Amino acid sequence: MTADLRDAHPLRARLARAVVWITRLPRIPTIMLAITFVAILIGPMIVPHDPLQPNPGNVLEAPSSSHWFGTNGFGMDVFSRVVTAARTDVGVAVTGVTVGAVVGSILGATVAYTGGWIDAIVQKAIEVLQSFPLFLFALALFAALGDNTFNLVVVISSISLPWYVRVVRSVIAPLREAEWVKALQNAGASGPRIVILELLPNATSQVLGLFALSTALAIQVIAALAFIGLGVQPPFPEWGSMINTGAPFLLQGAWWVSTFPGVAVVLVVISLHSLSRFFDAETRGIG
Amino acid sequence: MATSAEAELDRDGSNGPASAAGESASTTRTEVFIYLARKLGALLLVSLLVATLTFVVSRATADPSFLMVGQDATDEIIAARRAEMGLDQPMYRQWASYMAYLARGDLGISRRTFAPVGGEIWQRLPATVELAGAALLLSLVVAIPGGVRAGLRPDGWADRIVGSVAQLGAAIPNFWLGLMLIYFGFYWLGWFPAPTGRGLFAVEAEAVTGIVTVDALLARDWTAARESIRYLLLPAVTLASGVMPPILNVTRNATVSVVNSPYYEAALSFGVSRRTVKWRLLLPNIAAPVINILAITIGFLMGGAVLVEVVFSWPGIGSYAVAAMDSSDYNPVLGVVLLASVTYVVVYQIADLVTFAMDPRLRISR
Repeated sequence: MTADLRDAHPLRARLARAVVWITRLPRIPTIMLAITFVAILIGPMIVPHDPLQPNPGNVLEAPSSSHWFGTNGFGMDVFSRVVTAARTDVGVAVTGVTVGAVVGSILGATVAYTGGWIDAIVQKAIEVLQSFPLFLFALALFAALGDNTFNLVVVISSISLPWYVRVVRSVIAPLREAEWVKALQNAGASGPRIVILELLPNATSQVLGLFALSTALAIQVIAALAFIGLGVQPPFPEWGSMINTGAPFLLQGAWWVSTFPGVAVVLVVISLHSLSRFFDAETRGIG
Repeated sequence: MATSAEAELDRDGSNGPASAAGESASTTRTEVFIYLARKLGALLLVSLLVATLTFVVSRATADPSFLMVGQDATDEIIAARRAEMGLDQPMYRQWASYMAYLARGDLGISRRTFAPVGGEIWQRLPATVELAGAALLLSLVVAIPGGVRAGLRPDGWADRIVGSVAQLGAAIPNFWLGLMLIYFGFYWLGWFPAPTGRGLFAVEAEAVTGIVTVDALLARDWTAARESIRYLLLPAVTLASGVMPPILNVTRNATVSVVNSPYYEAALSFGVSRRTVKWRLLLPNIAAPVINILAITIGFLMGGAVLVEVVFSWPGIGSYAVAAMDSSDYNPVLGVVLLASVTYVVVYQIADLVTFAMDPRLRISR
């Protein structure tokens, strides 16, 4: 049946399968992430105010119909800033994690396939890297490399890389001795071909789950670093630095400056977490 | 922040002894000795590698000699300064002297305060230990009973509540939660003090531990104790919110696996009382994973307290590192990083030993 369909209309069958797959995704998180995605694509064009326009006339205005999330200490519109910041936070997180995921997965698959002392060394190195508390590790890297947005991407990819090595390695290592891998070797397939085209796809769902999880973590780390003034610099809209600039006003009762960017972080992170759990369940065949 | 992910991804590492030597009872003592020696070796090796990494970072930061001399220093002065600091030596020599200094507990000089970093960290350590200890205590008191309760009836109401709490806790950035708690606790309710660290009141008693709460209690100074707890509570809750989710999850999952096991069902069907089953079957069997996650948590708390310390102006090592970072003073940052990671490694190995000592199966199966 499926085969017939595939033969008759390959594209349509593929689309149908994609639609079925999408409908199985957890609903609310998917909608949240879709909204975030829209904010990243066209957010800066549709926001009601210029996120960088100070307005000394209405500083620290409470949320109202003209300023949905109120205004900050410079009179900038908090709503416009929260929406615009999605591009910074999620953008940097996805870029950094993608680099870490690609390099880490290939490295993990390669050492799993090669085995031996290279494998042992890489494993030990990963163990050492992960014995640094994550946030302090990021601080130390900033100390070594200097504080700018490019290095923020480097920091994010280097904290996500070890996980991919570890997870991909653990999935692929048991396959090293599999019959079909031996068959490929005997058929003369090259090492890189076996690793990238044949072995790596076996870890797809684990990598997807990890991608959602590590993007969530990256967003938290980016916001946390910006909160203490590293990475993205104010007044450039970014959730963590917005929370930081709003902190002194909290003590005077102006809650909105810090609250809304934090809510944005929580919603995006929680959606990514539940997506990651969905992929994990898929992996174990429960979903 | 980030604990749940770390916990989920960080759970292998060295487990139990790898040696498969003889099994007769007479060799047990030697075997335990070999096992301990191996552990100690691994510990030293990892610490050495960690220190090597901070060495690399410290040499990758801008050449410190430029920062020590004035702007209009001549080349000769810079060269002399470099020679004085040993920066003209080959790398392996520099590495060796770095390690030698570390072994003596010398973490270098802070460029901001011109004081030895080791001493400054030592002075600020009690504040961090107080905060981390309180957070650990809070999360234990909530997470272990909560996790067990949730695991006894998977998908029951308790499980749902625990699940949502764990999810929320893992998603909420704890520096933001701290600010929200300050808003409600200080501005709105007025129950808690402004975020001014450990407060400005003085404990009359002599500092015994440096941990204000404990000192006040030891001296039976109830006013000081109450005040210090008032200052401690919000930051501790904030920090606990970040480390609780993984403890909850691990406790819950371990409980579920015990509850689903045949021996548990058998005990119940033989009519063993629920109480006995809980204390004799359930708790000993969930101990190993729970101790493991606790070790990870304790290791994490040292560094994880950074942002909470910043939010509450808590005078611990985390806010020290951040303040140093602000003025590009890297020795304190690296000192704190080193301390936190070595603590992590040590605590993790100790937890491994405790599990080994507690669980008779690990001994027999050898």
